[in-house]
Amino acid sequence: MPWSRFDRTYEAPTGGRQITYCDALREGIEQAMSHDPRVFAIGLDADDKFGVFGSMRDLTHKDRVLGTPISENAMTGVALGAALSGLRPIHVHLRVDFMLTAMDQIVNYVAKWQDMFGRQGKVPLVIRAIVGRGWGCGAQHSQTLHGWFAHSPGLKVVTPSTPYDATGLLLASIADDSPVVFLEHRWLYKNTGEVPSELYTLPLGKANVLHRGERLTVVANSLAAMHALTAIEQHGLDVDLIDPRTIKPLDLDNIIASVQRTGRLMVVDYDFPFGGFGAEVVAAVTERSFDALRQPPVRLGFPDRGMPSSGVLERTYYPTPERLAQAMTSMLLGEVVRS
Amino acid sequence: MTRPHTITRERGLRLLRTMRTIRQASERIAALYPTNVMETPVHLCIGQEAVAAGICHHLQDRDQLFLGHRTHGPAMAKGLGLRPLFAELYGRTTGCSRGFGGSMHLYDPEHGLPGSSAIVGGSIALAVGAGLAAQLQKQDFLGVAWFGDAATNAGVCYESMNFAALRGLPVLFVCEDNGYSNVMPKSVHSAHDIETLAKVFMPTVAVDGTDALATFAAAGEAIASIRQGGGPRFLHCQTKRWMKHQGHEKCDIVTVDRERDCPIHKLEAFLRGSGLASGAELAQTACEIEAAIDDAIAFASASPFPTPELLEA
Ligand SMILES: Cc1ncc(C[n+]2csc(CCOP(=O)(O)OP(=O)(O)O)c2C)c(N)n1
Repeated sequence: MPWSRFDRTYEAPTGGRQITYCDALREGIEQAMSHDPRVFAIGLDADDKFGVFGSMRDLTHKDRVLGTPISENAMTGVALGAALSGLRPIHVHLRVDFMLTAMDQIVNYVAKWQDMFGRQGKVPLVIRAIVGRGWGCGAQHSQTLHGWFAHSPGLKVVTPSTPYDATGLLLASIADDSPVVFLEHRWLYKNTGEVPSELYTLPLGKANVLHRGERLTVVANSLAAMHALTAIEQHGLDVDLIDPRTIKPLDLDNIIASVQRTGRLMVVDYDFPFGGFGAEVVAAVTERSFDALRQPPVRLGFPDRGMPSSGVLERTYYPTPERLAQAMTSMLLGEVVRS
Repeated sequence: MTRPHTITRERGLRLLRTMRTIRQASERIAALYPTNVMETPVHLCIGQEAVAAGICHHLQDRDQLFLGHRTHGPAMAKGLGLRPLFAELYGRTTGCSRGFGGSMHLYDPEHGLPGSSAIVGGSIALAVGAGLAAQLQKQDFLGVAWFGDAATNAGVCYESMNFAALRGLPVLFVCEDNGYSNVMPKSVHSAHDIETLAKVFMPTVAVDGTDALATFAAAGEAIASIRQGGGPRFLHCQTKRWMKHQGHEKCDIVTVDRERDCPIHKLEAFLRGSGLASGAELAQTACEIEAAIDDAIAFASASPFPTPELLEA
């Protein structure tokens, strides 16, 4: 197993090279392909000149980038079959919404294949999908759905928020012998951050503390984590910001330790609220650490309805760093904040 | 195919008006798009107007047309007005989807537009459902599935054709084949020949989708047969997309001869050549349409934006 040599954790780098989230992903794929000839990428428009928003442009191993027709369900089965037959596929979707046409393969096949046969086999398959929104994309091109994939046993769900996490978690996902749904927010693509140039992986299931504070625990992933960080920094809030990085497995221990210190919990979940990731965190913390809570926990996210198109409505629909700051401030003042 | 066209003056002018409306509205959208007044991804139909006009002129309001992401042309040909279209693109409450849909999600049930979808393929099945509803209720309307060449790669396309054929449903399958899936040419996305494939399930006709009269004639035969209970039909309309897949820019991968490939130019030449209409008359039509577009834009611009409370309703 050539991957085991790299199964170690890097501390967040300091003073190193800065690259974009997009380049971090690209570098991870490039490294994985160079490192392991079994790694290949497949997906609709994966091989075109846009290179999946730049994240797969000009790869050295072009022969291992395969375009497909608009046949997401079958292609998911193809990727699974290849994973069961000696390869380590990365199936990529330009929008997570397109992945939904493949839910039969994803939930009934990919997610279940290990459990169904007594967990004897390996399913080294990564499904990358990009979360988009804005410019009136509307209800079928703006969804997040991380909570939904996490609902299904058998899928790991990874949602990196920084370039460092993007590379490390992508490589860990490719190295993993179970299926991983890897969700990248398009709005993070241009963000820059430090990324080591040597190959490294980060553990799946380990949270990252983005900001230290004493009076409120905020749990947020992906774009929401970056928005929460902006809110905290701009308003100088005394908040512990925990980015779980992987929705599943979820690093509950870290979240609970924080809540036990702060006594307050807010989850910023840029997804549909009902039965979602935010609900899961709140339920789990309440179950395991009810006594630590001084105030009702709060969830912030999208309204429980499909995304509107009109710019005016879009700007209301999606939370902003400013709105997160207001909610955090209210909570710190002991006010009741509506989920 | 050099079959001489026979057409009345009135029909010819109406086809032309529809095509010109689509063309001029699309060109106006393209011109305004960089000013950001329309915050919505647009898939324009410039070059493909004859398919919309030729087919939709045989459809009634009661016929249910299900579109994909490339909506404007067929939606206008089916009866969606310029005002509700532009207002939707401008994100206003007076838009056909009240500002919730945008370009890819147009809604006008009174004109047989029960909604359009931006996930390629799925709406083909909805048209089959409309055909089923017509059959079960013994009503005289069609389901019309409207999709691009690349949608024939989706499983739902086969599953829908199979079911429609099995039950002999009143469904018209329209493949608007512009030869591309975004920047991917057909040769890269389809191992099958679309006609051969469709013929496995139902009678299929190929037509030059840049020729409004040819498309009109072929659609007339197919639709008449469906209305007589003859079961589903497939129209394969080959056409050219002049613009980029999305947005206001000219396409840089398709070679277009703006004379030879232009459906409007072709029909105008025919109408003038056969003495059915004069050049002055045609110029007049263009002016009238321009005025209607001005009116629609004024209407859209003056319309209110939706208010945030609408999200809670
Ligand atoms: C299931 C799904 N996969 C991918 C996409 C992204 N996408 C939107 S339009 C398009 C190309 C469609 O080509 P075609 O069906 O030929 O229609 P055209 O755009 O040429 O009218 C693609 C790949 C999508 N909308 N839905």
